[in-house]
Amino acid sequence: MANSFEKNTFGKRFGSMLKVDFKRLFLSRAFYIILAACLLAPVLILVMVTMMDGTVSVDPQTGKETVMEGFDHVWQIIGTVSDPNANAAMGGDAASGAAAMDMSITSMCNINMLYFAIAALVCIFVADDFRSGYQKNLFTVRAKKTDYVASKTVVLTFGAAMMILAFFVGSLVGGAVAGLPYTMEGFNTLNLLMCILAKMVLVSVFVPIYLVMSVVAKQKLWLSILLSMMVGMFLFMMIPMLTPLNATLIHVLLCAVGGVGFGFGLGAIGNLVLKKTSLV
Amino acid sequence: MNAIEIRNLSKSFGPKQAVNGLDMTVPEGAIYGFIGENGSGKSTTEKIICGLIRESGGTVKLYGKPHTDGDVRASIGVLIEAPGCFPGLSVWNNMMIQAANLRIENAEKEVIKVLKTVRMEGAAGNKYKNCSLGMKQRIGIAMALLGNPRLLILDEPINGLDADGMRIMREVLTDVTKSGATVVISSHVLGELEKIATHYGIIRGGRMIAEMTAEELEASCRTFVSLQAKDMRAAKAILTSRFSHVEEDEAGYLRVYDEVKTEEVVKYLYDRGIVVTEVGTDKIGLEEYYIDLMKGARKNG
Repeated sequence: MANSFEKNTFGKRFGSMLKVDFKRLFLSRAFYIILAACLLAPVLILVMVTMMDGTVSVDPQTGKETVMEGFDHVWQIIGTVSDPNANAAMGGDAASGAAAMDMSITSMCNINMLYFAIAALVCIFVADDFRSGYQKNLFTVRAKKTDYVASKTVVLTFGAAMMILAFFVGSLVGGAVAGLPYTMEGFNTLNLLMCILAKMVLVSVFVPIYLVMSVVAKQKLWLSILLSMMVGMFLFMMIPMLTPLNATLIHVLLCAVGGVGFGFGLGAIGNLVLKKTSLV
Repeated sequence: MNAIEIRNLSKSFGPKQAVNGLDMTVPEGAIYGFIGENGSGKSTTEKIICGLIRESGGTVKLYGKPHTDGDVRASIGVLIEAPGCFPGLSVWNNMMIQAANLRIENAEKEVIKVLKTVRMEGAAGNKYKNCSLGMKQRIGIAMALLGNPRLLILDEPINGLDADGMRIMREVLTDVTKSGATVVISSHVLGELEKIATHYGIIRGGRMIAEMTAEELEASCRTFVSLQAKDMRAAKAILTSRFSHVEEDEAGYLRVYDEVKTEEVVKYLYDRGIVVTEVGTDKIGLEEYYIDLMKGARKNG
């Protein structure tokens, strides 16, 4: 047998790794369960919050009454308008500027919650490699860890973007079921599409974070989820600011730049972790 | 050309030295039986060869290139401890994922071929988690065979295999080496290993204590006269006074290792009033050779 080995360029290696990861993603039951949950969650939130709209609860200790406020329109579950004037027009607190600090149920139960759920997708996907022992097959024939990190980033960003899309579709359905209006105040359809696009692109900032935590924790799924939640929380506040309902192409580009920066920076860290640590 | 050349390899896990100055040479085309007690460093060495853990020191070369070389590593087939399969997926999907990992053209055809080789084509639709231990081992061997690897590293592949599975594995490994591939196989089932291995490496405490070809092993395995007599105690006493190396084995037979003919031993006992009821000649196999070697190594510390 001749002592020659086929040259494997980055392109060839990355292409095959992408094929492996996409195959795995589409064969993964967890992915479909998470997508279904993303589709159902907004329907449930919109219907339940609308049902509770106007209900009064009394604190037995203080006797203070609290009136539950529901959604005014469907798009509230997607985000808020960043402009203070538009915010005021929509009934928000003008003085607060961006509605990022609004702690009402309508601002908490929205699409931004998904950025935590994405951690579950990333951590389950990566931990499965290590828990099943598949990493032995994978890393034996793949000396370069860059393939793994780059491919996982791309595939899981795609998967997470699908989660955002599923939530958006679920919101449209949920609005109809709950009988909420689809009125747009302070933004238009193009802004809304840009907002969704920006949110889908913004996942590329979160996925590399969760990916690094996952390769650090390897088969310890609980640890990777815990670390991901802890680190992700620090960036959680920027989501409403970067992806308001009245988003433009600038917002999308900003998210994309952030995604590329985080992807390369944290990708390099993930690569280093895989290189320097035991893979079994 | 050597398929694997390891020099002064060491690996420590904290204070524990798992591999300690190991030298190992596996010629191309060999079936290399890698033998050692539990915890002797076999799996650690194999994992280092596969790049799954980093060595603390020493060099590992595969086909003359560093083991970190991506192109060489892409031609390794591996089964370490258990097959790396996703339990919730079918055998077929697991195989197809690995085929994609190896960039195999005509993946379906290739997967069918290797599944047929290990007689597992009928289980392709089964979920991996529902397969028995023996089936899983066969799937692991099939997975390692995907893409016609130049180097196969198999850690305890015989575990859980039935007689038919063992026979298939012997055939498969003999076939792959005919095409020029090299196999490193570690196992505690030495009887099976003896049937296929062309080379042996015996490891203890992270060090290679013996490395030899099958022919060299054959030459160093002594023949002996094995017998049973009516009065075993008297027979042993008489034989010990006449021959230099007499032992009683676990089955209760007396063994005379000196270079002596069977008739001579029988006559010697008969002349002294001892009736031999059963006699024959035999040769110590790999298992006994290994046990002797280990005993010696333990004595020498």
